[in-house]
Amino acid sequence: MRLEIDSYEIKDLKEGPKTCVENGVLYVNKKELEELILQDANIEKVDIQLVYPGDKTRILNVQDVIQPRAKVEGQDFPGWLGKIKIAGSGKTLSLDGTYVINSNASTNRIESGLLDMDGPMRKLSPYANTPNVVVASYAVAGTEERAFEDSVKCAGFKAAAYLANAAKGLAPDKTEVFDMDMYKNKKEGLPRIGYIFQCYSPQFDYLAVSDKIFYGRALTGTLPLVIHPNEILDGGVMGWNALKAIDSVSYQNNAIIKELYKHDGVDLNFGGVILVSANTDADNRDRNCQIVADLAKNVLNLDGVIISKILGGMPHIDISSMGVACENAGVKTCVHTTPLTAVGTLGDTILFNDECLTAIVTSSSPFERTVINFKAEKFIGGTAETKLYSSEMKLQLAGDERINIEQYLTAGVHDHTGGRKVQTLEY
Amino acid sequence: MAKEFKVLLYLNNAFGGYGFEEAAGMGFDLNEGPKGPGNLLQAQLNKQGEATGDTYKVVATLCAGDDFFSAEPEANSAKAIELLDAYKDADIFFAGPAFAAGRYTVSCGALCEAIGAAWGIPCITGMDEQSPGTDIYRKKCYIIKTGNNAREVPQTVAKMARLGHALLHPDDVVRLTSLEYIPDPREYDYFTRGQLRCTYVDRTVAERSVDMIVKKVNGEEFVSEVYPDRFDTFDIPKAVKDLSKAKIAFVSDGGLVYKGNPDHCQTRSNLVWADYDLRTLMAPGGYEVVHAGYFNDYVNQDPNRLLPLDVIDEDIKAGKLGGISDHYMSMPACTTVSAQCKKNGAEIGEKLKALGDVDAVILTST
Repeated sequence: MRLEIDSYEIKDLKEGPKTCVENGVLYVNKKELEELILQDANIEKVDIQLVYPGDKTRILNVQDVIQPRAKVEGQDFPGWLGKIKIAGSGKTLSLDGTYVINSNASTNRIESGLLDMDGPMRKLSPYANTPNVVVASYAVAGTEERAFEDSVKCAGFKAAAYLANAAKGLAPDKTEVFDMDMYKNKKEGLPRIGYIFQCYSPQFDYLAVSDKIFYGRALTGTLPLVIHPNEILDGGVMGWNALKAIDSVSYQNNAIIKELYKHDGVDLNFGGVILVSANTDADNRDRNCQIVADLAKNVLNLDGVIISKILGGMPHIDISSMGVACENAGVKTCVHTTPLTAVGTLGDTILFNDECLTAIVTSSSPFERTVINFKAEKFIGGTAETKLYSSEMKLQLAGDERINIEQYLTAGVHDHTGGRKVQTLEY
Repeated sequence: MAKEFKVLLYLNNAFGGYGFEEAAGMGFDLNEGPKGPGNLLQAQLNKQGEATGDTYKVVATLCAGDDFFSAEPEANSAKAIELLDAYKDADIFFAGPAFAAGRYTVSCGALCEAIGAAWGIPCITGMDEQSPGTDIYRKKCYIIKTGNNAREVPQTVAKMARLGHALLHPDDVVRLTSLEYIPDPREYDYFTRGQLRCTYVDRTVAERSVDMIVKKVNGEEFVSEVYPDRFDTFDIPKAVKDLSKAKIAFVSDGGLVYKGNPDHCQTRSNLVWADYDLRTLMAPGGYEVVHAGYFNDYVNQDPNRLLPLDVIDEDIKAGKLGGISDHYMSMPACTTVSAQCKKNGAEIGEKLKALGDVDAVILTST
């Protein structure tokens, strides 16, 4: 499968009568984009705003952040927009240096994400340092909450495809080629390394419905699946319905996949990807972990795997069970952990007791806190009175000058696919 | 802007120049200016200060005998704070270094903890890893790692000065995702203080992961970022032979607490447990859920989903079960560190044993 991603460096963002890219400036016809989004009968109103680094703006109820992408031929965001078509081949247009910040302004969730365009977030989040297009959708009264979240998700994808299409026909600043055959080694004699991408955990399922993250459908309840890495890079697997140190950008740019591509034929052969959801019960976990190990050993013929972890404590158990099953099958592992507390020792944070899991990488610390001193003057997707989550159950509001927030709710600070230069250390 | 920092120092009888064991019983003696290694400390601090144009002055040195101080470390720390009241505008406090000396390390640690808590200034000492003071106080103050030989005074004092200067000069460099400034214990050679922080490093998680798996597969050496603690194994208790005569108690980490959360349990990293009256809790309006690890609505709708009291009551009625304890032990636990779970679990076990009539426990989780 061969995928070409043509990237266009966006240096500035402006409103304009026609949506287009000229000399690195993305002009946006807000009215046209608004009409496109309002085609969804669940959306009463959409607030489209262009935001810039240095704006005294706090964006609230951020559900997702999406990189603008569009297929030259084929289906954009298949399964969510239009029919399902396997993603990952052909040519895709991609805008760099600008993002769609997708907000669900009608959410009732108590844990919801935010992004400030100035203040301390400038030091922590890439999204606070780029001009962005905010799409904040409001629900038609009476719309079921989960159905509305799906509408919001699609609104974000529509905006992402709409914006990227503005680059159609232009010469890209950069073209990346992702070309591999899982069953053919690039260079004989090198170890075959694969990737187990744990991309969902149903433990947080809001209103007991799983998010649609895989071709417009939920992954929960499915068996582990061998998938071509390009499908993940090209919109087959997208972010959750809530920002939990997870966003679509990190899936569209899965750093482990990109890193394995970089090493393919150099010091390893990239041997494929297995897509899994964490399991909420032991029986399914046991079965799925055995299947993962079998796929890794006997279907993909791997010598080693990297197993990345998604948010939560329960996925940690799946990581260890998968790791042990792989090691027992003769496939060596490097497993991720995400320390979920800021006290104790690193050893303390590990819930498994298996001596074969010798290679452990810390990939993020989602529940660490940051004190953010920032007086916002403008709010999008909420108001100064919007409540912000506190695990001590203390009242804090979006308009407060000082907030104490867990990092998984801050857009772009963490990433569960290995893209950040972070490591959890003892202090 | 250049500043003159005021420094306070604590020394024992030996380092203060009063004598060795014969002087170990002496009470407090407060001296103006530096004494003993304080001169070296002041010189080292001023050397550090050259970079920022700051100067340091050891304004007073408090001394006491090891036997005297360590006999009542907490009470004596409180007394020391009273004695030092005239100097409470000090910017930083040093004690020792105490190396491996049992009494001296405890005295230095206690004093650092007390002064840090009372005045909120950085407190620094130096100890050997095996000393009793290290174990007790490492989380409460900054303890430079030393050997067990007092001949290491010059290099230890230099390290204490370097750390002290760093603590008084937080810079704007973003090193941690929390945006705090914490000097790196590896760079400054002090004992870690039981905190974890997500730190910006040179390579991405993905780069490190690929590097590690390639090395592991090739049989080359690699360094894991975590070395897990190994859990204790234990014998599974014998089964209850006759349930019809057994009294059961509920214990749960699922976060079901009295309405209003009177024990201030946290939804994440909670550290406390509570003993609740089961029937009061389970009555309508008697409960709420404090737990961030799962979707709480089902338990809020019906607490029997977490504590299956409805089924238990049927079994009791049918004579299948002897009874259910009125005591429900609740410890909301989401991302709580295992060491705390072990400690609380032991306390809960003791409490249940002390009740005297509980034969078995149903432990529910989420």
